[in-house]
Amino acid sequence: MLSTNPPTSRRVAVVTAATFAGLVAAVVCGLAIGPTSISTTRIIGGLFSEMGIGHSTLSPLQATIVWQLRAPRLVLGLIAGAMLSVAGGAYQGVFRNPLADPYLLGVASGAGLGATFAIVYVGQGLTTPAWTPLLAFAGAMIAVLLTWTIGGRGMRSTAATLILAGVAVSALLTSAQTFVQQRSSADSIARVYIWLLGSLATASWRSVWMVLPYVIFCIVICVAAGSALDVMSVGEEEARSLGLPVRKVRLVVIAASSLGTAAIVSAVGLIGFVGIIVPHILRLLVGTSYRRILPLSIFFGAAFLVFADTIARTVMAPSELPLGVVTALIGAPTFVLILSLRRQLTT
Amino acid sequence: MSAVEINELTVRAGSKVLVDNVTICVEPGTWMTVIGRNGAGKTTLVEAVAGIRRISSGSISVSGQPMASLNERERARLIALVPQRPSIPNGMDVKDYVALGRTAYHGLLRAPSASDRAIVESVLERMSLTEFAHRDVATLSGGERQRMVLARALAQSTKVIVLDEPTTGLDLRHQMDLLELLKTEVAECGLTIVATLHDLTLAGQFADRLVLLDRGEVVLDGPAHEVIRSDELGRCYEMTLRVIDIDGFEVTVPVRAGNE
Repeated sequence: MLSTNPPTSRRVAVVTAATFAGLVAAVVCGLAIGPTSISTTRIIGGLFSEMGIGHSTLSPLQATIVWQLRAPRLVLGLIAGAMLSVAGGAYQGVFRNPLADPYLLGVASGAGLGATFAIVYVGQGLTTPAWTPLLAFAGAMIAVLLTWTIGGRGMRSTAATLILAGVAVSALLTSAQTFVQQRSSADSIARVYIWLLGSLATASWRSVWMVLPYVIFCIVICVAAGSALDVMSVGEEEARSLGLPVRKVRLVVIAASSLGTAAIVSAVGLIGFVGIIVPHILRLLVGTSYRRILPLSIFFGAAFLVFADTIARTVMAPSELPLGVVTALIGAPTFVLILSLRRQLTT
Repeated sequence: MSAVEINELTVRAGSKVLVDNVTICVEPGTWMTVIGRNGAGKTTLVEAVAGIRRISSGSISVSGQPMASLNERERARLIALVPQRPSIPNGMDVKDYVALGRTAYHGLLRAPSASDRAIVESVLERMSLTEFAHRDVATLSGGERQRMVLARALAQSTKVIVLDEPTTGLDLRHQMDLLELLKTEVAECGLTIVATLHDLTLAGQFADRLVLLDRGEVVLDGPAHEVIRSDELGRCYEMTLRVIDIDGFEVTVPVRAGNE
């Protein structure tokens, strides 16, 4: 199944079917697994009942647990996994850099500074204020705009200058965040760390509806740019000679990926590794074309993050592990395994 | 109307002048090769013609259209480039690689049409690449790879193709095969070729016209057989060159110092 050769249509079909099966399994796990045991049959019955088919056998308490606690958490996990994976794949394509992830241009440090500012100054360290997502979002977008402006005068920038500008902006904003943290209370620092490690624990239907429009819009743009990203795989100059408006494509893909990532980070905090490993796994399975990687990243990434969240909330129940820690614990060895497999397959 | 019209072209990199006030016209359906020593400005010149190198002054027109006023898509429909060191992306198959040549014809958000696919099939057949259509591009030999890059350029369906050292890294057989394929395209499809070549014998045999570039300036410009026999050629390369006639073909031979 694993190969660096161009994939056969049969292999793509098998991987697609397996990805959808994994997604269904993730949805079932996300709804059925939790401190309160509720049978899968009752949950499925309840689901059909919500669609007007048959009657639900869930008790009122069970219905509240499933539809007001688990379902929004599940849906936000699906959305976050899909967006981070697609953004990671799109960044890898536009920068022709396998190490690119959705935080490359400063989204993480900008969001981190925004959230820290909200927690320390707006919430006074006593609560995580409602302003946190908004300031995290603003911080993320300001960071990307700063990177875009510094990295070679916007439209005349190159991939390399943008990456270097991203490193500089990230370092600057991270040091600013550290400065703000240093001047705050221990309570504030604890809250900032909890936010930085990412979590779906505070997911609600409100947060789902807040990020969904951004995510749909951004995923559609990134997936539609798959063909253009394939052309960019021959390098910027050759792509231009083939008729691709490279700078416009780069602007549109970076803007869409960054906007979607900023929306997700503002809602769930920083969740690492999803954006790197999901596109890499798919590259091994279905080849290097972004026309295949990006659409499959939606479903693979969604399933991956929901499975990771299921582990995060069950492995040390009743307490929860930070989701960012779980994705890093799964992601780091997986990444090493992928690199080792790629080496074996290419030698 | 000339196929390519280069008018008082100057290209600078910082304070260094790479191409200096060059004026050349290439007639449709002809083959023009730029020759000269390393660093003479050949690659800069053809990259400027292909529209991927910013020019400092002067103008370039292709099929009567000024390149400066065209966007990437419009340019790619007029002129195709075979770069000196093409980037070969691992994991892409030959057919998809050749189909990149159709980028300028379908929308960014749309897949290639049936007509795009038919053109790709036809080019694969002309370049004898059909049997490799589903092979990974990274697994091809040097000769097959260069034919594939040429096929991508032909898939652009342009009237002008620019080739920068297309025979680099190929053995004699594959060099001849590739240039013969190009000559056939010129004869049968009226293609205009602007190329750079280091091999003066091949340059003299295949091109209708040679332009000798030295330090960014045009030193000689004329029919291939005249330029090859010019004393200026040896002076430019700072060595003695002999031209031998073999069955009507002119072979340029360098002579070692001391054997003159």
